[in-house]
Amino acid sequence: MGTKVSDDLVSTVRSVVGSDYSDMDIIRALHMSNHDPTAAINIIFDTPSFGKPDVATPIPSASNGGKRVENGIKGCSFGDSASVGVTHRVEEEDESVNGGGEVSVSGNEWWFVGCSELAGLSTCKGRKLKSGDELVFTFPHCKGLKPETTPGKRGFGRGRPALRGASDIVRFSTKDSGEIGRIPNEWARCLLPLVRDKKIKIEGSCKSAPEALSIMDTILLSVSIYINSSMFQKHSATSFKTASNMAEESMFHPLPNLFRLLGLIPFKKAEFTPEDLSSKKRPLSSKDGSAIPTSLLQLNKVKNMNQDANGDENEQCISDGDLDNIVGVGDSSGLKEMETPHKLLCELRPYQKQALHWMTQLEKGNCTDEAATMLHPCWEAYCLADKRELVVYLNSFTGDATIHFPSTLQMARGGILADAMGLGKTVMTISLLLAHSWKAASTGFLCPNYEGDKVISSSVDGLTSPPVKATKFPGFDKKLLEQKSVLQNGGNLIVCPMTLLGQWKSEIEMHAKPGSLSVYVHYGQSRPKDAKLLSQNDVVITTYGVLTSEFSQENSADHEGIYAVRWFRIVLDEAHTIKNSKSQISLAAAALVADRRWCLTGTPIQNNLEDLYSLLRFLRIEPWGTWAWWNKLVQNPFEEGDERGLKLVQSILKPIMLRRTKSSTDREGRPILVLPPADARVIYCELSESERDFYDALFKRSKVKFDQFVEQGKVLHNYASILELLLRLRQCCDHPFLVMSRGDTAEYSDLNKLSKRFLSGKSSGLEREGKDVPSEAFVQEVVEELRKGEQGECPICLEAFEDAVLTPCAHRLCRECLLASWRNSTSGLCPVCRKTVSKQELITAPTESRFQVDVEKNWVESSKITALLEELEGLRSSGSKSILFSQWTAFLDLLQIPLSRNNFSFVRLDGTLNQQQREKVLKEFSEDGSILVLLMSLKAGGVGINLTAASNAFVMDPWWNPAVEEQAVMRIHRIGQTKEVKIRRFIVKGTVEERMEVVQARKQRMISGALTDQEVRSARIEELKMLFT
Amino acid sequence: MANSNLPRRIIKETQRLLSEPAPGISASPSEDNMRYFNVMILGPSQSPYEGGVFKLELFLPEEYPMAAPKVRFLTKIYHPNIDKLGRICLDILKDKWSPALQIRTVLLSIQALLSAPNPDDPLSENIAKHWKSNEAEAVETAKEWTRLYASGA
Repeated sequence: MGTKVSDDLVSTVRSVVGSDYSDMDIIRALHMSNHDPTAAINIIFDTPSFGKPDVATPIPSASNGGKRVENGIKGCSFGDSASVGVTHRVEEEDESVNGGGEVSVSGNEWWFVGCSELAGLSTCKGRKLKSGDELVFTFPHCKGLKPETTPGKRGFGRGRPALRGASDIVRFSTKDSGEIGRIPNEWARCLLPLVRDKKIKIEGSCKSAPEALSIMDTILLSVSIYINSSMFQKHSATSFKTASNMAEESMFHPLPNLFRLLGLIPFKKAEFTPEDLSSKKRPLSSKDGSAIPTSLLQLNKVKNMNQDANGDENEQCISDGDLDNIVGVGDSSGLKEMETPHKLLCELRPYQKQALHWMTQLEKGNCTDEAATMLHPCWEAYCLADKRELVVYLNSFTGDATIHFPSTLQMARGGILADAMGLGKTVMTISLLLAHSWKAASTGFLCPNYEGDKVISSSVDGLTSPPVKATKFPGFDKKLLEQKSVLQNGGNLIVCPMTLLGQWKSEIEMHAKPGSLSVYVHYGQSRPKDAKLLSQNDVVITTYGVLTSEFSQENSADHEGIYAVRWFRIVLDEAHTIKNSKSQISLAAAALVADRRWCLTGTPIQNNLEDLYSLLRFLRIEPWGTWAWWNKLVQNPFEEGDERGLKLVQSILKPIMLRRTKSSTDREGRPILVLPPADARVIYCELSESERDFYDALFKRSKVKFDQFVEQGKVLHNYASILELLLRLRQCCDHPFLVMSRGDTAEYSDLNKLSKRFLSGKSSGLEREGKDVPSEAFVQEVVEELRKGEQGECPICLEAFEDAVLTPCAHRLCRECLLASWRNSTSGLCPVCRKTVSKQELITAPTESRFQVDVEKNWVESSKITALLEELEGLRSSGSKSILFSQWTAFLDLLQIPLSRNNFSFVRLDGTLNQQQREKVLKEFSEDGSILVLLMSLKAGGVGINLTAASNAFVMDPWWNPAVEEQAVMRIHRIGQTKEVKIRRFIVKGTVEERMEVVQARKQRMISGALTDQEVRSARIEELKMLFT
Repeated sequence: MANSNLPRRIIKETQRLLSEPAPGISASPSEDNMRYFNVMILGPSQSPYEGGVFKLELFLPEEYPMAAPKVRFLTKIYHPNIDKLGRICLDILKDKWSPALQIRTVLLSIQALLSAPNPDDPLSENIAKHWKSNEAEAVETAKEWTRLYASGA
């Protein structure tokens, strides 16, 4: 620490100065004198304001010896409350807590910080100044002052001061003589913002000055600095949301600098300071020294380029390989193992035991008691010279100040479990829940009657510590401050995507010994908001959606639900959900109150390095939860291609992230996980002649449109329409019927709404025509017909309706027939009743089927479906189950026809199912041996679901992003899979699908930086052109 | 052959006309042109045309059903809305045509026109005048003509 003052020295000095001076005064004097007792004594006697002999209070000392320490504030009243004088007493024998409340600093109280000498510069000639003269300081008032950011450029040279903006000059004067001089810029810089905000007050007098002043003469001043108590309130009023913005501005923090100028030395230094980061002291290079290919740095550019792309299907993910390069796959084979908790009903694999040990260690990190008494490494503690013995803590990163003890409790206790998909993160987490249950730990888990600002007992023998206040996040989380008095102590909270809700529940029930963990699912409209209920359960499972909605409601006065609980442990499953740090969900997650925090994700970075920031903020990995620091030291260097950014990320992550992949090996070099082999192949299909005709026609039409865009140079402006063109082509490869599928009828799928609309007659202002409203009876009849799904026929073509529309007079016709009957394209007569109808008034009639054509009757197999059926037929006898993935639920609709015709029983999972239905489907699929096929939309099945009951995956259509495909397929190729896995992708030859393959490969190259900047810019257009060749 | 790309609607209408003919009406397409129909309408009872069998020709133009069919009486008929060439004055065959109408509905309308002659919107001025000035006599003439020209031959 280098700042320790030995007891010997203190007593030496005390023997001379007597007991009139407090220990602190003596220590401070010793600091100022560089531990020279003689000099210290001189300082004490020479400085009039040094200490106040009438107060002789023992004070906390930095020495760790067994000294009796009493940190008392006696008889002082602060602010408007006269009864707050409170003593915090921490005694070595009995570490009990006496304090009932906390030091009230609510008023407008000035606290003496310290005094110092400084050398002012004369700006006058001939004026008189003598030692002891009171000085008045004048501060410029102008706005827009920017803190000077180039220290060392002090204007000592003649003429140079003139170059500076006069706005940051602090002048001093005497009552008699007027302006005398100015204080050094170094001081002015610190004082200006603080004085302007009325946080700091300065008093001073002349110590010595030349007989006759001339310009640029040095005047020695003695100044005393006072700090306003409101300084410490500012931060409690800084809400979390604004904190993230304000941090961006500058890295210059006046208060810590002022303290430095005053010669205040923290009696407890921050272990982790900005200087550590800027200098090379911090071991940045990871030991393996794996050179990160600078090409990785291209990642961001690629990403940015893609940002304005419409449609999330174009979202750029980074590949696993790149991810490993960025975050580094730790060599974790050396980790110790921890035995499977006896309450876990399955045996953990060795690497899972390692994870359990690792997690346990991270959680233990600092045991709670200890943590509560340890200073957070980003903060330093100062004793003010004020007689009231105030201890002030400064954050060396943010410049925040507080008088509340920032303990390591605020620090991350947890981390990121980033094992690749399929290694069993869920089971590892459950084992952690079992290994360290909150009930067992609850004795050490803060005070049971944790209340307000109560002081926490420190039970560590021999450690004298400043008054230890309960966890607080100065300048970080207002909500926490407001709420803590009403927070219930809760157990584990698991936040996951909705799809995984059931899986978490069933996995916990399956793996944990009955009765060992009570599980409660906090989900649904009618979920109770009672915090007691939530806190009673060992495990509460909820979704990100619920979290966001409770976060947004949380500003209401009554604290209910998730935010009314102080969780023992929070686990974010699929934690990349919060990757966007500005999103509500990310803010919601960061605002949760918990002791231990975990992120589970196979992809800690999905698109951008920035994704990590949000995770680190949630985990409270300081100082990286502060955007300014993250941005300065990681994000910017990374984006500018400075390798240090990346290296720093690795060193940040190293201790808090565990990532193994399926190819990781154990100590003996064996793979940690042996899965049955996966056989992945692409099946190339040929279009039949009629399909080819259809496709070619569609392609030509699309290409004409695309070429137009190219000609006009508007390709990127019409991205959405181009994607739409491509979408049609891609669907055509699946089955031409898809292209004929109809528009969305969702608006009036509620038939009651539809009939209301008819009867109200409010059809776009045509009311002037009078009551052209169809009779209620007729409307009832029409609606009833629709409800029953009666086909009926179009009065024009006499066929079953194709893409039926309803007129405002409630007549049903094929859209095309109706439009063809009109002379102009926007309006015409209703063919049935001759009322004038405009095109906008038409309502697409809701129907069961979304196809224009009667697909059942006119069923034709596409070549892709034929190929699929062949494959399925080959598997039928073995009874092995298959999953069919498609991006289009419409294609799933179509697939049902050939499946039923060929007697394959199937179930289906897509986004329309609610949670219970999903669970039912998955259960059926895995338990009913006769069900061979699961139809699944790629999106619904993307994450988390365990589908190892199936051993075949058929990816019916290629996805832009191979990572999404991979993720889906990995649902079956994961832990628990016993059979050989067969993966088949279908690609139709000579179509856009084949081009997509090429683009996919190209994208990979782009991500890995094989293209230059210039190339990247034109790449997107090129890519599109390629698809239209 | 011209019939090869006959719209499905026409085929469907034809089938229905043949399988479930409307009472008092028969219509059958010509062998060599499916758009040309031979039509027979029985004179409605309690009308001057009762007992008569009236032949008509009906032709579906290329635009059908977006354009009205062309219909003409082949049998001579004494009616204020039908001229001596057999042309019919009926709004749905002109500006009030709607594609939701069909051959059947057109013929039914013509049948109804026989029951309710409308001399206020005449096609044949003389007959209309006759009808207005001396309805009984005009009706008698119509019965006469029915016997003369439309008696089952």
